[in-house]
Amino acid sequence: MIQAVQQGDRQAYQKLYQTHIGQVYGLCFRLTADHALAEDAAQEVFIQLWRKIGNYKGDSKFTTWLHSVTSNITISYLRKQKGWVHRMFNIEDSEAMNESAEASAGSVDLEHYIKRLPERARIVFVLHAIEGYRHEDIASMTKMAVGSSKAQFHRAKGLLKEWMGYE
Amino acid sequence: MSKQNFDAALAQKLSELEKSKMPERDLWQGIELALANEPAPNQIPNETPKKTVSTRIFAVAATFAFIGLFSWFSMNQPEQGVIGGQELVAALSDQHREQKDALLVRFRDQPALTQNWEQQLDELDDAAAAIKSALKEEPNNIALLKMLQNVHQQQIDLIERVHAPKWQQI
Repeated sequence: MIQAVQQGDRQAYQKLYQTHIGQVYGLCFRLTADHALAEDAAQEVFIQLWRKIGNYKGDSKFTTWLHSVTSNITISYLRKQKGWVHRMFNIEDSEAMNESAEASAGSVDLEHYIKRLPERARIVFVLHAIEGYRHEDIASMTKMAVGSSKAQFHRAKGLLKEWMGYE
Repeated sequence: MSKQNFDAALAQKLSELEKSKMPERDLWQGIELALANEPAPNQIPNETPKKTVSTRIFAVAATFAFIGLFSWFSMNQPEQGVIGGQELVAALSDQHREQKDALLVRFRDQPALTQNWEQQLDELDDAAAAIKSALKEEPNNIALLKMLQNVHQQQIDLIERVHAPKWQQI
């Protein structure tokens, strides 16, 4: 299927989309914590994927490569969407972060807690704990220092620990 | 409850996470539309330029214009800082409006890839208005002038991105 796509077969590309959209959107949603942003980011992933899939040589699993492409595009998308306003006003909280304290009862699932994490902590947590990237890789993807990536991961774990009732 | 318990519980919950999730709307139509005029992947050069030539030229020209205008007002109107600063803001705004209008006309018949781009444009307009309001108090504040220029550039990038998306990195 991938070879057919590389040669320009659009039907094959639609099948590839149908096969992987769930994984791509799932990762976009975890990184953005916002349905609309995740949909736009996932759409851009598949637009860029068409342009980049010619570079895929099969050295790694396609899904691994696709997740890397998805992560980079989504982070880039977030940076562009939220960049100016967030940098100027130092806003980094996700919508869910502002929910009432009652919502943080222990019964809520991990997915919800991840959504509540502040943006930088959430991105690092998703990439490290769920996607398995090293902090060095995350630092390169997010343009933050390795130490900052580790600190954000620590911060994410601390918040999850608190919200999950372990403190 | 101990740290060990937490680490174990977190690991357990992570292993149970469902990685796949479906979007609420069908994204394929927009993707198909965006790729309608794209060549086959194996005919696309490996390295695509990060920005179009026209965008680069605009960025360079805008930077020179900004520096030139600011220097001119700084040197020529030292005792009329309020008037000079406001004139600079007006000049920057006019230049940006022309650039934005030209782009909107250029992409008038081209479908946008995101639905809320005009709302985003409006939000940036609001940001620009807030900065201009602050500039009325401090017309020669370089940080505010740079912020205004930054917002203007974000609007240009937004219009170009939603009509002809170009990502800086993968």
